[in-house]
Amino acid sequence: MSVSNHSGSNHSGSDLLAPGAHGAVGGEPVRIALRSCDVVQVLARKGRAGDVAAALLGALGLVLPGPGHAADGRGASALWVQPEGWFVVAPRGADGALASAIKAACGDAASVIDQSHGRAVVSISGTRAAWVLAKSCRVDLHPSAFGPGRVASTQLFHLAATLHQTDAVPSFDLIVFSTFLRSFLESLTHAAEETGYVVA
Amino acid sequence: MIRIDCPWCGVRDEVEFTYRGDATVVRPGEGASEEAFHDFVYKRANPRGWHVEWWYHGAGCRQFLKVVRHTMTHEVRAVARATEMPEVPAE
Repeated sequence: MSVSNHSGSNHSGSDLLAPGAHGAVGGEPVRIALRSCDVVQVLARKGRAGDVAAALLGALGLVLPGPGHAADGRGASALWVQPEGWFVVAPRGADGALASAIKAACGDAASVIDQSHGRAVVSISGTRAAWVLAKSCRVDLHPSAFGPGRVASTQLFHLAATLHQTDAVPSFDLIVFSTFLRSFLESLTHAAEETGYVVA
Repeated sequence: MIRIDCPWCGVRDEVEFTYRGDATVVRPGEGASEEAFHDFVYKRANPRGWHVEWWYHGAGCRQFLKVVRHTMTHEVRAVARATEMPEVPAE
């Protein structure tokens, strides 16, 4: 696998994640995958957070979480990213459909921006996933300090990233700017060579 | 390395923030003199001791925070939201 030849201009980064096992052998490899998701940013307008909460509860069964947390609804998750601001993340559907549904539900109570083309979601899972991320992450991911359902907007490999722990394995969804995806994947896979990593 | 206990995100490293200057400066009222506006824009104290300052958490919650930092030791004594004024130690 050549990672230095960018002439193919593959922004999806899929060429950096060739199916199979990579890196060290015989340890506890992590699993790395690209998740195809819709990401919609919802920012409550001044004094309208209550209306946004009611709208998203009705539309998607989401109970909007507070700082540092995520919540699951009907086929979508809400991640706290800033005061009265959330990412709604769901498996990729028809282009713009999730944003349109949220926009219709929120009316003028929120600014709703479809970030599905601007962000990419990378998942990393395995007993050593937090250990791999710790090479670049300044947030303490030890089970005593972090856990399933927790969210942190921070930096990974010097790039802005929103980190969401989805289960106790542990597994993490890493939301990064899609234009930085290639660089991010190069760094992440390089960091995971020490444990070995598997691409499904 | 300064560690800042963001009221929204918890304790984070200095690299996630940008220093944005003195948080006690007050904009002069309408009709204030040119000199008052000059001082508002340019003139700053350079205290030795506790200083209330703006830090922008660009890599986290994207909020402006007020941080009480000691300019000699870099100790951070308090961190508050932008709408609050933290208590400043006497010494």
